[in-house]
Amino acid sequence: MTKDQFEDKNPPRHFSQPIKRKAEFIKPPNMLKAKVGSGGLSDEIIEKAQSLLQNNAIDFQPLADMYLGLMMEGINSANSEDHNHDGEVIIADMLYPAMQLKANGGMFNFPLVTSISDRLVQFLEVIEEADANAVEIVLAFHTTIRAVINGKITGNGGSHGTEILSALNKACVRYFEKHPENHNKTVQDYKTKF
Amino acid sequence: MAYQLHRISVLVVEDNQPMLDITKSLLITFGVGHVIGAQNGEVGYKRFCEYNNDIVIADWMMRPMDGISFTRLVRNDSKSPNPYVPIILMTGFSERRRVLQARDTGVTEFLVKPFNARELYKRLVQVIERPRQFVRSTDFFGPDRRRSRNASYKKYEGPRRRDNDFHNPETLKDIQEQQRKAHEILQRIRDEEGLDKSDRFDINSDSSGSEKEKE
Repeated sequence: MTKDQFEDKNPPRHFSQPIKRKAEFIKPPNMLKAKVGSGGLSDEIIEKAQSLLQNNAIDFQPLADMYLGLMMEGINSANSEDHNHDGEVIIADMLYPAMQLKANGGMFNFPLVTSISDRLVQFLEVIEEADANAVEIVLAFHTTIRAVINGKITGNGGSHGTEILSALNKACVRYFEKHPENHNKTVQDYKTKF
Repeated sequence: MAYQLHRISVLVVEDNQPMLDITKSLLITFGVGHVIGAQNGEVGYKRFCEYNNDIVIADWMMRPMDGISFTRLVRNDSKSPNPYVPIILMTGFSERRRVLQARDTGVTEFLVKPFNARELYKRLVQVIERPRQFVRSTDFFGPDRRRSRNASYKKYEGPRRRDNDFHNPETLKDIQEQQRKAHEILQRIRDEEGLDKSDRFDINSDSSGSEKEKE
């Protein structure tokens, strides 16, 4: 078979395209492996580290208060009518503390804070505009997280925790049913997410 | 025989002091010899230039410099002592687009917070045992973004369409093999339909079958 056999008077556009990106592959020497050797760590060491994590005596309250304060500032900024920020900045001001609460709650024995904040992050990630109803929902999340922190509800909150999460989920679903236009379709489908 | 982690140094860049303390404590419990902390990306980069750590663990959201900008600096700055250093990015974000964003800046591994001791250990094992090759292209420098092992060495099996494919003996062999398979499939169809080489398929016709069948 020769090249001529493939040639046509009007070849398709995809034929013989120039290479768009030239990539160079580099395999750096694995100095890390050479230093640490092999064999991994024993389960005993990992369990010791895990128990250290679970029994840490760090007080989460001041940290949570700081992030809840930041979130309230974001809520107030979204509610104020004379703000000059664009929509994305307003959402980001509420998203950042929500993400921090999600990240840190579970690390400091407040997994329920993580679960609730996770839902809030998902909500804020898909809305395109922080309208009044959306801000109401964020405020509901804020109040709930505040209650969990003040009530020192460590652990997952049992059946009460599940009920709280379910109620917040339903609020989000109701919001998107009422305002489908405010849901960023390119991110995810709220029906499968919530 | 176990890992000799006391031989390595790890830089932890995290603006949240309790979180920084916990991560450092976990690494020390694992037996890491030197654990150095930094409060943000800017301080972190200074420490990295000073200590040339073996592994970097960085938070995403930090001010004034976040983990993404820090990663770009480590990978691309001419003063960086080791642009190939494994960087584990810690974050509360787990959405796909965030993970892709982090990956595209040159992060080696992603650790979603909250995490436990085993998850942190798994990321360390990953960077020790399965280091990624690096890719340098016009718009990217960082670990190979493809996850499969030896992905870059996987033989291309799609159609050959470039001019130079016909001059390279290796790719010409592929083309001949693809042609042979195509002829086999065509022959099988002809056998099944009872057609010979002179028959032509009329693809514009509504009715299925060949011109011969129409006759």
